Amino acid sequence: MTGACFDSYDWAGGREAMLRFGPRTGPVVIAALPLFEEANRTRQFVVTILRALAAHGIGSVLPDFPGTGESLVATRDARLGHQIDAYSSLAQMLGVRTYAVSIRSGALLDTGAALAGRWHLAPQTGGDLLRDLERTRTAAMRSEPLGESGYAGNVVSRAMLTELRAATLFATHGRTRIVRLDTDPRAADRKYTGSPLWRRSEPGSDVVLAQVLAADISQWIASCED
Amino acid sequence: MIVIFEGTSQVETTVRAVLADILGLSADRVAAFTADTPLFGALPELDSMAVASVLTELEDRLGILIEDDEIDGEMLETFGALVTFAAGKALV
Repeated sequence: MTGACFDSYDWAGGREAMLRFGPRTGPVVIAALPLFEEANRTRQFVVTILRALAAHGIGSVLPDFPGTGESLVATRDARLGHQIDAYSSLAQMLGVRTYAVSIRSGALLDTGAALAGRWHLAPQTGGDLLRDLERTRTAAMRSEPLGESGYAGNVVSRAMLTELRAATLFATHGRTRIVRLDTDPRAADRKYTGSPLWRRSEPGSDVVLAQVLAADISQWIASCED
Repeated sequence: MIVIFEGTSQVETTVRAVLADILGLSADRVAAFTADTPLFGALPELDSMAVASVLTELEDRLGILIEDDEIDGEMLETFGALVTFAAGKALV
């Protein structure tokens, strides 16, 4: 039940791959990783959350979006608008009992979809993401001035940067639950102890925190379904 | 958002925690840091990319803004220098 299997979904611009976890019936979660470098740092952690959700009887998908993961769309051709469209198509395919579990800037992707609810972990605005990207690029240029330009290995187009700059609002309609780490002073519905894996220099996971968050998601979905 | 800190010791605790979390250092190791403990150039974990993450995480936790032109080798030379820099931002 907790093994993953490969699947895919279609959107107006093509087909993208996704991993499926847990049962195919009942509520289903779309997990959205953060964009760019933070995706690498959180992927294992998010998969641990999804396996724990499966143990709670909740199915989930971990999709690529156009320009991420194994997508045929190159990173340099990624557009936030296309990713939002792809997300919406996937949500429509999965049905009315679909819930977003979005990590950091992944919350920028679920804004256009018809969802039963949104659960966000330390959501990041487009403006904050851009600031991180710029600082990372500045740091890289200091240490390697002749290195390839880009953002920690990600070539981001001007069009994508413009879209991100404007992407400062999360969807305000529908049920939303915001969860943060207790070291984060911003407002949240609930805070938990843990370290920000998305900023850690070497990718890692946190099995205990993953299980705590899966329990939180599971209880929240149950309360939405009542 | 208003964040109020009681004093430098609170900032020091935050800097210690950020270094542990971002660089993946043990709690024991960062607990042993003194004002003179060298950081940039001495900690292999603290490369230029990690510096960016440490500063951004400090911004988030302390509710401060660090401009890129404020970032220099001096503020990252020792643990004490980084705490002094962060306290100067957080406690004004």
